[in-house]
Amino acid sequence: MMEQLIANGIIYGCIIALAAIGLSLAYRILNFANFAHGEFLTLGAYFALFFAAILNLGFPAACFLAIAATAAFGVALDLLAWRPMRSSGASRTAIMILSIGLSIAIRNALIIFFRPDALRFPLPVSRGMSIYGMSITPLQIEVVLIASAAMLLVHALLSRTALGKSMRALADNPDLARISGINVDRVIRFTWAVSMGLAALAGIMYGLITHLNPNMGWSIILPMFAAAILGGIGNAYGAMAGGLIIGISQEISTAFLPAEYKIAVSFLIMIAVLLFRPRGLTGGG
Amino acid sequence: MLDYLVSIILTAGIYAIFALGLNLQWGYAGLLNFGHVAFMAIGAYLTVLLSMNGIPIFLAVLAGMILAGAAGASLGVATLRLREDYLAIVTIGFSEILRFVLLNWSSLTRGSFGLFGYPRPFQDLVGMRDYNLFLAGLVIAVLLMVYALLEALSRSPWGRVLKSVRDDEAVAVSLGKNAFSYKVQAIALGSAIAALSGSLLAFYLQYINPNNFQPVETFYAWIMVILGGSGNNRGTILGALLLWGFFSTTRFMEGYLSFSPSASSAARMILIGLILIGLMMFRPQGLLGREEELSIGR
Repeated sequence: MMEQLIANGIIYGCIIALAAIGLSLAYRILNFANFAHGEFLTLGAYFALFFAAILNLGFPAACFLAIAATAAFGVALDLLAWRPMRSSGASRTAIMILSIGLSIAIRNALIIFFRPDALRFPLPVSRGMSIYGMSITPLQIEVVLIASAAMLLVHALLSRTALGKSMRALADNPDLARISGINVDRVIRFTWAVSMGLAALAGIMYGLITHLNPNMGWSIILPMFAAAILGGIGNAYGAMAGGLIIGISQEISTAFLPAEYKIAVSFLIMIAVLLFRPRGLTGGG
Repeated sequence: MLDYLVSIILTAGIYAIFALGLNLQWGYAGLLNFGHVAFMAIGAYLTVLLSMNGIPIFLAVLAGMILAGAAGASLGVATLRLREDYLAIVTIGFSEILRFVLLNWSSLTRGSFGLFGYPRPFQDLVGMRDYNLFLAGLVIAVLLMVYALLEALSRSPWGRVLKSVRDDEAVAVSLGKNAFSYKVQAIALGSAIAALSGSLLAFYLQYINPNNFQPVETFYAWIMVILGGSGNNRGTILGALLLWGFFSTTRFMEGYLSFSPSASSAARMILIGLILIGLMMFRPQGLLGREEELSIGR
């Protein structure tokens, strides 16, 4: 029983972690809490569904295309909205309210195009296997493997590439980064692409283990923020750990509480962290 | 026709009270409450639940205001020492959690069934036929009272300290003011005002359901406050009238367009989202905004 809950928590936690990495990076580098991040998950999942159905592609190819399309959408959004806001010196508040407006607009545009009903990816139903008394589907194992690979990729990006280093420099000290010759706009666009690409991947995986509906991303915005805050804002590794902790605690809570309340667990964890460890568990950020 | 006018006065008036509470928090104190609707829900539900159990209505409304004020203050205490956007994250989360609890605590709230058949103030005296007209008068009276209170507060030393905290917290603190405590007071009072508007909404609708309190309601209040110019109480009331005018014209136009109900409400929500985006990009100070009162554009 408990092993099963922990296994479910790891699967769900991997998805929250991927989403939280993007949220946390964007928060640190762009300096605002992006309330439209959940809709980027939803968008990624619907892009994958759309490409798989319309272009008649295999599902993995459709997913790659969906991630690329969501990342491209992120860059376009930066050119159309975020950059004009930055260059007009708009306050963080104005940018956050804009992100709320964006979230409402995207969610409802998806309701119009795809209708509010739940949809599924065109994949055969994955049968559960029994491993040490836990019921796990091959699909769930793939989700965990792909999420781990994506996290390793993020690690390689941040630690090994010049762009990753500029991202970290910009997060640590924007002014210093600017005078040392880093092209800030380019790094920011790259951050959006990474953040939204990861969001799309998380959204596709969330759609795989549950189903798609226009509300899916918004419904997990709270665990995402909780994971990002728990890991220390801007700390990609913290966000990974935070996502797993949030995912596992939410699932374990269902042993004691009605499952409807599991999202409240991430709220309580978030409040506790803000009260006692506001810089996150690792103290960084 | 009169019925239509009365219903506009009721909804616009109730939402104006709701938005005035937010204006106190955001316009005066610069606090980012993204879950204002939660406090409206607390007011509505506590008033209805208590009055169904025989508590006098006036006391039930008061209890809702006190509980909402206390809830707002506790969220403020948890986050207001940190960067201002933590309050935004925590309040929006709180409003969603509260809605889940109201939906799932069926033994108390009857979940998505909603509550109805509860007492309304002076219902026996006024009678059913003219009740909405009476309620519209009551809403206008409450609106004027809240407005007068907020105007008096904004001219009081308390209001001046609050605005100085909003504009430059370091200055206020260096003059010996406890900025944290002022902010917590502002959030508590604003939440209590939202609860009052929630009680009035329950009296008007005669039926409450957790889905009356979706997160987007919070952002109706934000649009009202920003349209009228943050920190401007009269502007907030004007913003409420404008937004409600917009809603009733779009509902009217829907009669001519053959959208399904879910598509037409989604289309209206897209417009709301675009209004928020457009306001932030092109007119963050709103229509009546005064430069010196403004903190959003900077």
